[in-house]
Amino acid sequence: MVSDTLTETAANTSRERLRADMVRLASGDRSSLGDIYSATSAKLFGICLRILNDRGEAEDALQDVYLGLWQRADRYDPARASPISWLATLARNRAIDRLRSSKRVRDSLPENAATAVEDDTPLADSLAEDKQRDARIHHCLGKLEKRQQSAIRTAFFDGATYRELAETQGVPLGTMKSWVRRGLAALGKCLGSDNE
Amino acid sequence: MNERSRLAAEHALGLLTGEEAMQARGLMASDADFAAEVAGWEERLAPLMDELPDVEPGPELWNRIEAAMAQPSEGAEVVTLRKRVRSWQLASGLSAAAAVALALFAFPIGGPAPTQDAPLVASIPIGDTQLRVGVTFLPERDELLVSASGLTADGVHDHELWLVDEAGQTRSLGVVEPGFERRVTLEPTLASAIANGSDLVLTREPLGGAPAGASAGPVVASGEFAKI
Repeated sequence: MVSDTLTETAANTSRERLRADMVRLASGDRSSLGDIYSATSAKLFGICLRILNDRGEAEDALQDVYLGLWQRADRYDPARASPISWLATLARNRAIDRLRSSKRVRDSLPENAATAVEDDTPLADSLAEDKQRDARIHHCLGKLEKRQQSAIRTAFFDGATYRELAETQGVPLGTMKSWVRRGLAALGKCLGSDNE
Repeated sequence: MNERSRLAAEHALGLLTGEEAMQARGLMASDADFAAEVAGWEERLAPLMDELPDVEPGPELWNRIEAAMAQPSEGAEVVTLRKRVRSWQLASGLSAAAAVALALFAFPIGGPAPTQDAPLVASIPIGDTQLRVGVTFLPERDELLVSASGLTADGVHDHELWLVDEAGQTRSLGVVEPGFERRVTLEPTLASAIANGSDLVLTREPLGGAPAGASAGPVVASGEFAKI
């Protein structure tokens, strides 16, 4: 328990530091981007690399993320989202845009997608700021049917579209859509939200 | 879950293609409640990314980013850009909406400085109609603006825009969104293949565009990039 508390305290401190850096950046202090980069680049690069499956592509995406962040730092609202969740989402969205705009040069899914999505070991890491919230998404996703879970995870982690999911699973597009939609409806309800 | 909420969840996950993707992007721009719902999903899904291992990017990446940041910026440049947007609009016959879209991403800059590279434009006439797809390429940002504001979707096909490179290979520039102005950032390798005189073709594809790995569908229109 003692070490848990220490870990949590350390996580709180680094989160607050990151939040403060983001606010500094929004106010035009460009030196804070270096601090933000040091604190977050390995996490965000891991995300870009998973989606793009190519180091060069992932580095280009990451460069876009930080340059975009510098140019539009004022879009981050410190009162609303946690800074690392916000940055992780920015990185995922950027990587997916890149994946979609260059889909001709790449296979639709990385080779390791099928095995990788099975790995659902939750890690205690920087995104898990709010332990309850973190546990919640894992808990709620875990309650879905296996095939709904797998489709949602593949979309999330590999940037697969409905079309690609249907193709890889060898089911009609309409079938895939109805699996996923039922899954999303259940997920929204479980997460307890205004999105039901 | 009503249809709009479902669309928000699907958009947050990135499941959509074709018309549904268009609809979601349209709502993101025009409907604050929808955008908030998407953000809500993104936020709640984000902790899943903790499952991914940290990976260090190459050590030189930060230098690249710093170099890009160090370019002179802002101030007079914004005014120059504003003037240039106006002149591009006049020269290319871009609609006011397209010019606004152009302005939105051209102005709030503070980053990489524009070079003197002139934008390239192409106008692709659709059959015998008065309609055309307007394409503007900004070399300094590797950005492409595709305007298809007069077009409507038929619900059965999508149209995909392709660059025909020097080797005669088609390279996708993405699906055209009828009724929308779309802005995309191109990969540097793809962007560098675009030059004055580059050919563009528009093909008819299944919804969502040509499937990965498949060749392009029938060509329905073509055009060529030219300096303005």
